[in-house]
Amino acid sequence: MTRRQALGLFTLPFAGMGSSTAEARPLRIVCLDDGLTETLLMLGVSPVAIADREVWEKWVVEPRLPPDIADLGTLLEPNLEFLQQLRPDIILSMPYLDGIKPLLERVAPVTTIGLYTEAGQPYRRALEATRQLAGLVGKESEGEALIAATDAYLLEVRQQLAPLSARPIYVVSFLDPRNVRVYGAKSLFQEVFDRIGLSNAWTAETNYWGFSTVGIDGLATSSDARLAYLEPLPEGAGGTLTESPVWNAMPFVRNRSIMRLPAVLMFGALPSASRFARVLASAMTAEAAHG
Amino acid sequence: MAEDAAIAQRGKPASAGRAPVWSFSSNQPVGAILLCAVLLAAAAAATVSNLTVQLPSALWLQSLAAPDIADMRQVLVHYAFLPRLAISLLCGAALGLAGTVLQQVLRNPLASPETVGVSAGAYLALALATLLSPSLLAFGREWVALAGAFMALAAVIALSWHKGLSPLSVVLAGLVVSLYAGAIGAALIVLRHEWLASLFIWGAGSLGQQDWSTTLWLLPRIGAAALAIFFMVRPLTLLGLDDEGARSLGVPLGAYRFAGLAAAVALIAFVVAAVGVIGFVGLAAATLARIGGGRRLGQQLVMAPLIGGALLWAADQGVQIATGPQGDLLPTGAITALLGAPLLLWLLPRLALGSEAPTLMAVRLPRASRPGLVLMALGLALLLLLGLALLYGPGPHGWTFAFGDELQPLLSWRWPRVLAALSAGAMLALAGLMMQRLTGNPMASPEVLGISAGAALGMMVALFALVDAGRPVQTAAATIGAFAALLVTLAIGRRAAYAPERLLLAGVALTALFDALILVLTATGDPRAMLLLNWLTGSTYGVDVGDALLTGGIAVCLFALAPVFVRWLDILPLGSAAVQGLGINLKRARLLVLLAVAALTAASTLIVGPLTFIGLMAPHLARRLGLSRALPQAIGAVLAGALIMVAADWVGRIAIFPRQIPAGLVATLIGGPVLMWLLRRR
Repeated sequence: MTRRQALGLFTLPFAGMGSSTAEARPLRIVCLDDGLTETLLMLGVSPVAIADREVWEKWVVEPRLPPDIADLGTLLEPNLEFLQQLRPDIILSMPYLDGIKPLLERVAPVTTIGLYTEAGQPYRRALEATRQLAGLVGKESEGEALIAATDAYLLEVRQQLAPLSARPIYVVSFLDPRNVRVYGAKSLFQEVFDRIGLSNAWTAETNYWGFSTVGIDGLATSSDARLAYLEPLPEGAGGTLTESPVWNAMPFVRNRSIMRLPAVLMFGALPSASRFARVLASAMTAEAAHG
Repeated sequence: MAEDAAIAQRGKPASAGRAPVWSFSSNQPVGAILLCAVLLAAAAAATVSNLTVQLPSALWLQSLAAPDIADMRQVLVHYAFLPRLAISLLCGAALGLAGTVLQQVLRNPLASPETVGVSAGAYLALALATLLSPSLLAFGREWVALAGAFMALAAVIALSWHKGLSPLSVVLAGLVVSLYAGAIGAALIVLRHEWLASLFIWGAGSLGQQDWSTTLWLLPRIGAAALAIFFMVRPLTLLGLDDEGARSLGVPLGAYRFAGLAAAVALIAFVVAAVGVIGFVGLAAATLARIGGGRRLGQQLVMAPLIGGALLWAADQGVQIATGPQGDLLPTGAITALLGAPLLLWLLPRLALGSEAPTLMAVRLPRASRPGLVLMALGLALLLLLGLALLYGPGPHGWTFAFGDELQPLLSWRWPRVLAALSAGAMLALAGLMMQRLTGNPMASPEVLGISAGAALGMMVALFALVDAGRPVQTAAATIGAFAALLVTLAIGRRAAYAPERLLLAGVALTALFDALILVLTATGDPRAMLLLNWLTGSTYGVDVGDALLTGGIAVCLFALAPVFVRWLDILPLGSAAVQGLGINLKRARLLVLLAVAALTAASTLIVGPLTFIGLMAPHLARRLGLSRALPQAIGAVLAGALIMVAADWVGRIAIFPRQIPAGLVATLIGGPVLMWLLRRR
């Protein structure tokens, strides 16, 4: 139980610490953005608490969440009494949570980092955020290493997929059997596509989180496109799809160009970018091997 | 729909055995027929325009009869566009028919799938089944929806039975059941939101189709229910008479009432199971059929499905023009509510609802011999609860009473929430009491009259139109919204001299408008919709010291003014004639009370959201505790409102720690059954 695990944190006696020892101990960070949390974990830093571990288990999956990270409750209403008792040194937040920023500031200084804004380009923002976080926790070299590794990995995937990159791909999450979120212009996935040399079949506008919500028949505009859909699936989406004539008439169904991808955080940072490239590459190469 | 009409034309002369129906005379529902023709023409034009975008006209016939599977355009027309069109006609007709039958059987011009709670019941049953036990759906969505719809209707009937199913008591019970079902649905969404994106779209009444299966599923079911209704035209007509009149003709009233209700409920459940909640079509179609000149039930039963079908067809094609072909994401069901609500507001002053009499206060209720004792007991309970809410709760070391140094940091989080919840509950209770006393209408309250919805609308505009709207901006916007809603209600009310039923209908329309907007926004998947939903459910989470002091301060100021109104409140329920006899300027007294209500509502809605029952419930509670005169009832209601709200905030904080359930939602969840029990009891 996360709650019980969280209790262990309180045995640590910080109350009487002087400033000289405070510098030696690691920063107690509470992180309210899963994209920032995954970046921190990749830098080798574990936040004290995050919002909603359950969401992480279902939608982020990797990197694995250490069991001693406390669960503050929902993202929109992290438990403030609990937060206070955790005595964080800093709270990392995102613009989406600006409404509760004054409350958070009563507990500890809040640093807001916006990966997803109207300006788009989440990959570039994730690079900046990685440097900012690395500076914050004194892991500058690890930060640069993460950036370099991500760039290098994407380049590697680009070469690997070069023979398979001719056809555009839709990347979607199913909302129900009839409707999907399709990721486009302002999404992390779009920027990964750009870097690994794939073209996105969805060229229409998106919201600032990088997706549009459309019916599946809206995905019929491109005749040679493939479809990659992300887990988790809502109940019932798998079974009813196969019976639908519209679904079965979709070009990518008739060409059997469908790929099922494990969950990747669509609102993530560099680790999610790598993970997306990895799961997509393995699905595409598997498909190529079969077909 | 065409079938329905044909059945009606065949069935009517046989069953009614009266003058030829389609002869040209002044008895024809000319207005309704004209309206229907206009709607149909508009819908047809829009359909042609939508179809032209998708497919060259040369291929229309081919795609209708035998689509080329290799041509995606033809597939989409055959398996998406056409079934969607058929669904819109079918569902619109079914809802129109259901609305008319409900209004006839319940003798209630306000009855509709929404106002008697049937849609909400079916929707909630499906939502619960989807989340908790998806295997239930394998038996058939219609059974789950039917079970939910019938349970909702059974609850409504049980709650209003002892009042002889009078129109107002049925609608009151229906609204309570709807709100309660809605609150449970909201709780599910708040607690498990990431899985419910699809529930949003479906709940909002998206008509999108992928094949003909839903159409073929609906057709026999709606056909059977419609057939049953048309066989009952004559007995249903007699149900419109008063009981004695009908009984003297030897009609088994109870049996036909039940059969009529069952058919209407089945129609609604089928529609909800197929496409979700389609707001307002049932009420609009039935109302338009009647005021369009359909005097006889037979005429209404033909015209309402025709208008309903035409209405939904036109609305759906309009939505597709706006969103492009097969646009699914502007849910048509929400759009009809958006269009239907202003229509109803426009119609209201023109509706003949008959004379109105005060209802609640006429009921004999127990009178406490010593109201002081009751009030003291309430006050003591509130004090005890305040102690618990401030001191006791779960923490890292389990459940503890916090004292001294430990308490200090915790208290800084707890007291603003407790103070804000207390003030909001008290203010809502007072606002509700004033509305009920003023109108003599037991279902009047800020929530029901749309004043809360107005505040919420204002808040919503701020959230979506302004970048980074802070709390002060949101507060101002919500206040403006509440006053705007009040002005709309007043404008409609003024024409009817603030007659209770019209005020109520205006409120229902405003609330539906607001619900529709919420559904549209949440269905777009905009993450800001979750922020809004969080606030809507009445979370006291974001309340800081400033908010708490502001709310408390407003409460104190308004309570200081309250005694001014008390004399009026004692007298107003006596009815207009009696009050004017006492030499009170009726309109001015009502206007002042309404303005006070708006201020109370705006201040409290900002804290606990627009969905609590406090304003409706607290005055009833006080009344049932035997507090009958205005002043003791006011004090009792205020104490009860504060008590419920503080309890709700506390339970919301501790029940699923570290997660929280919004206080407004908890208030609804615990308050709903209390209210139902109170309504049930004589």
